[in-house]
Amino acid sequence: MNGSNGVVSAIEPIGASEVEPKGIAEEPKPSGRKRQGSVLDAIRRGEPTKATVHPEVLTEDAVIEIEAFSLWYGSSRALFDVSMPISRGKVTALIGPSGCGKSTLLRSVNRLNDLIDGVRVDGRMLLNGAPLYAPHVDVIDLRKRLGMVFQKPNPFPMSIFENVVYPLRIDGVRKKSVLRDACERALRGAALWEEVKDRLAAPALGLSGGQQQRLCIARAIVSDPEVLLLDEPCSALDPIATQRVEELIAEISERYSVLIVTHNMQQAARVSRYTAFMYLGHLVEYGPTEAIFGNPKLRETEQYVTGRFG
Amino acid sequence: MTGIVNDIPVPGVHQRRSTPPSAFGEPSVWLMGSALLLCLGMVAVIIVLIAGHGFSTLWPRPVDRVTLRSGEVFLGMPMGSETFTPNEEEQARINALLKAGDLTQADTAGPRTRYRFRLGNRDLGRDSFRWVPAYEIASRERPDDAVVVERDQWGVFIGVPDAVVLRQEIEEPANTPFVESFEVQTPNGSHPATQRVLSETGETRVIAREVHVAQGPAETSEKIDELMGAARDRRDEIDRLLRNRIPAVQDRLAELNWAERRVERAAGDHDPAGPVWLWAITTLACLGSLAGAVGVWRALPESRSRSVALLAIAVLACGTGLHAVLERPFLRGTLTEQQAQVRLDKIAFDSSVAEDERETLLSRIKDLEQRDDTVRVEIVDPGLDRFAPVAQTKPEEPMRLSQARRVIHANTLGPLGRVRLYLARWGDFLSRPPGESPGEGGVFPVIVGTVVLTMLLTVSVVPLGVIAAIYLREYASQGVVTSVIRIAINNLAGVPSIVYGMFGLGFFCYTMGGYIDGGPGAAALPRTPWWLLIAGLGGLVVLAGLLGAGASTPGVLSGGRSLSARLVRSATWGLWMGAVGLAIYLAWRTPYFHGFFAEKLPEQPTFGARGILWAAFTLALLTLPVVIVATEEAIAAVPGSMREGSLGCGASRWQTIRRIVLPASMPGVLTGAILAMARGAGEVAPLMLVGAVNLAPASPVTATPPFLHGDRTFMHLGFHIYNLGFQSPDAEAARPLVWTTTLLLVAIVLVLNLAAMVIRARLTGRRGGGGL
Repeated sequence: MNGSNGVVSAIEPIGASEVEPKGIAEEPKPSGRKRQGSVLDAIRRGEPTKATVHPEVLTEDAVIEIEAFSLWYGSSRALFDVSMPISRGKVTALIGPSGCGKSTLLRSVNRLNDLIDGVRVDGRMLLNGAPLYAPHVDVIDLRKRLGMVFQKPNPFPMSIFENVVYPLRIDGVRKKSVLRDACERALRGAALWEEVKDRLAAPALGLSGGQQQRLCIARAIVSDPEVLLLDEPCSALDPIATQRVEELIAEISERYSVLIVTHNMQQAARVSRYTAFMYLGHLVEYGPTEAIFGNPKLRETEQYVTGRFG
Repeated sequence: MTGIVNDIPVPGVHQRRSTPPSAFGEPSVWLMGSALLLCLGMVAVIIVLIAGHGFSTLWPRPVDRVTLRSGEVFLGMPMGSETFTPNEEEQARINALLKAGDLTQADTAGPRTRYRFRLGNRDLGRDSFRWVPAYEIASRERPDDAVVVERDQWGVFIGVPDAVVLRQEIEEPANTPFVESFEVQTPNGSHPATQRVLSETGETRVIAREVHVAQGPAETSEKIDELMGAARDRRDEIDRLLRNRIPAVQDRLAELNWAERRVERAAGDHDPAGPVWLWAITTLACLGSLAGAVGVWRALPESRSRSVALLAIAVLACGTGLHAVLERPFLRGTLTEQQAQVRLDKIAFDSSVAEDERETLLSRIKDLEQRDDTVRVEIVDPGLDRFAPVAQTKPEEPMRLSQARRVIHANTLGPLGRVRLYLARWGDFLSRPPGESPGEGGVFPVIVGTVVLTMLLTVSVVPLGVIAAIYLREYASQGVVTSVIRIAINNLAGVPSIVYGMFGLGFFCYTMGGYIDGGPGAAALPRTPWWLLIAGLGGLVVLAGLLGAGASTPGVLSGGRSLSARLVRSATWGLWMGAVGLAIYLAWRTPYFHGFFAEKLPEQPTFGARGILWAAFTLALLTLPVVIVATEEAIAAVPGSMREGSLGCGASRWQTIRRIVLPASMPGVLTGAILAMARGAGEVAPLMLVGAVNLAPASPVTATPPFLHGDRTFMHLGFHIYNLGFQSPDAEAARPLVWTTTLLLVAIVLVLNLAAMVIRARLTGRRGGGGL
């Protein structure tokens, strides 16, 4: 489980903090348009900061609302009062340097962090208006409403068919025809049907990496979830497979709301409608993707998306 | 880092580092290779030794007729030779022979050769084996007429067939004229006959008439071949009646005897029944806890407290349920005098039927034996000039033909005949029960006992071990307690197996078995006021349920860190555990339960004695650590991404375990099972205490219901080897069979392992690509 105590503290900012201010100091300020003062420095010092949220995102219909959400692994804090709405039917990307809490935030949505001993949360998270962390929430039922795809393709060691219909199997669906239809629909949705339709009974581990990841996407969408959570879905894939998955995300986003964590700035720019930039567990800037990549309000965001730090 | 930075003053000049001698790995590779070779060599030696000896024991050997210088003659099967250095006495004898000119000077010096012969003929007082120095042998030839007779008793007999005799005992009036020898006319010609008076009373006398239907080695052998089939058929029929039919009738009679006792106990007020209302309370408690389990299942979300609560309630239901089932007050002591009498009459009638059957069988056996008794065969040991007797106490009567299992013309046997004989002997060895003395007969029941034990052990240890491993790995929080438990389990694997034997005998056989047989009184368990127990149990359950409902709400994750919440949780735990303990104690106590087999006590305990079920449980305990450790490792090797993937799909923890973790760790589970089976099949020490015997009176598996008799003793190959080679009075004769039995044990372990490996390979293959 990737969000243990070590991750939060063992990040690059030590190096960044030495280099970054110098760079800013030496470089003459290009214009007065960007807001002055280093937000990232403030974050590093542990001072309370306020996220810069573009007004466009607030007008959207939110499928998930995150309100002042904080998370602790034991005594170390991984998320600091994150507040952001996730738009319905759009792709929202979470970017930021390693350990900035994007995966933790993503995994908080379907409460996978519950499995780690010593995790504690504060704040609220709403899915379609219903709180996720209220007492008596059925976590299993909640996870059934959210599809999740992980960083590394993780097909189960069974046949392709069984992999896809796994969510239905655990719901007790036994009817062969229902399962077959659902399997075909999901595989078509994941653009994998043509490649595997003749060998549905073959072991899923025999597929290539890209196929495996699309299989995982098929598995995630077979039970028609309300939101699709993608945790760096392309980081273990080659460029061609990445392209296919990205095309797939674009297709899927017509049906589902997608929340995607990515390390790849170009990918975020290509697939997402909105982008959130996070740093050390704080939301730094959140807005339409064109704005974040083209004309961010914060200097730090610009430096990050143009690759000058992180 | 800094050093390197400082050492680059001149650009373009690279400093080369030298490779130290210790970097070369060849010597250690050689060392490791040699060690591996040594290990392989030792394994090879063991295999070659066991296989060589094991396979050669049953190979037919020729018979030598050896004449010694002293004039002594014997027949023996050569069993190899060795060189030895003569001691003073032997040297003196050699010198004397030299002086007499019987030995040439050439072979005076140096070590001497001596030969080993297998003699047989134990009933005539011969030793099983004999060493003979080469210089003592005057002549040595292979007579064609020598035969090896394999018998059911007294081992082999080596001799020369001399005559076939039809022997009859005739009672005739004393005034009939008596002749000692005369000729008898038969369709096959005339045969000499002799008569002998056995006893004489006033008017009648009993005479033994012996008709020699064949005489001389050639004619006798021919006659033996002619009569052998019929004789063996008679013997087999007698054996079948004695081994199967008679014991079955005896068992029925014994069962009826116990049934009679049971009725008498039920009729008399021997076992007081408890009050109905007490039974009603426990039954209600059982049903209540079942309902509670369903309630918890539905009400509580997926959490550790839910599984603990379920576990506790399950044990509770089992405890009270056992109490409710065992102590049905209305089913005891309800027989009126009249009903009892009716049943007793029925039992008496059944007994008389069974006894009639036994008489019929016995008379049939007697009849068969009488017919069998007439055909005798004289096979003579030429050295002693005596024939093989019918019994050691009757040296004047030749043996019955049916006593011979096979008569082998060892020296005239062709290669094909040898192979056929060899295979037939293997067939006998594998399919026949052991004879009365070790080294005779086969090992079939021993194989059955070993296999049944191993299977029972496997089916009891694997589920237990897998469940324990799953809990340890998947549910238990990985803290100090878990580590302590893990260390304890590993240490359990190091406890000497005899300790498990002691535990098995004390706990399984005497306590648990005693409880099943005769209730808590027989197992010497304490008695306490039961109503106090039930009240305490009820209180604990209610309290724990209330606390648990408060402590195990799903909000715990976000707010359950406070001291009071933790206190409540530990209190709940403690209460549940207390309730569980009380429930178990209650089930143990069952004050009005008098056992299932009380009527057989104290003479013949059923489960309260050594038996195959308790032996399997003891071995299961012994091999439990192996299974737990192997399964735990396999479960730990299942990547976390699989679990997350499954949970992310909305699967519950249990579904994830059942559908993802368990299938993926199946190869590891099977490895554990294989190790446990191999260990269990080879273990001897604890079995000696809890159930393995020399000669089991009955098989633990039968073709008739209930098929498996857990209370019966059994035979085990490991124990059989020990008995055969080292505990029998005639161990030396049985020693060759020790190798064969060892070979068999190794083969069985190998087959069990291979089977499990094949299953494992197929499992791994089906799941696609080398498991996980």
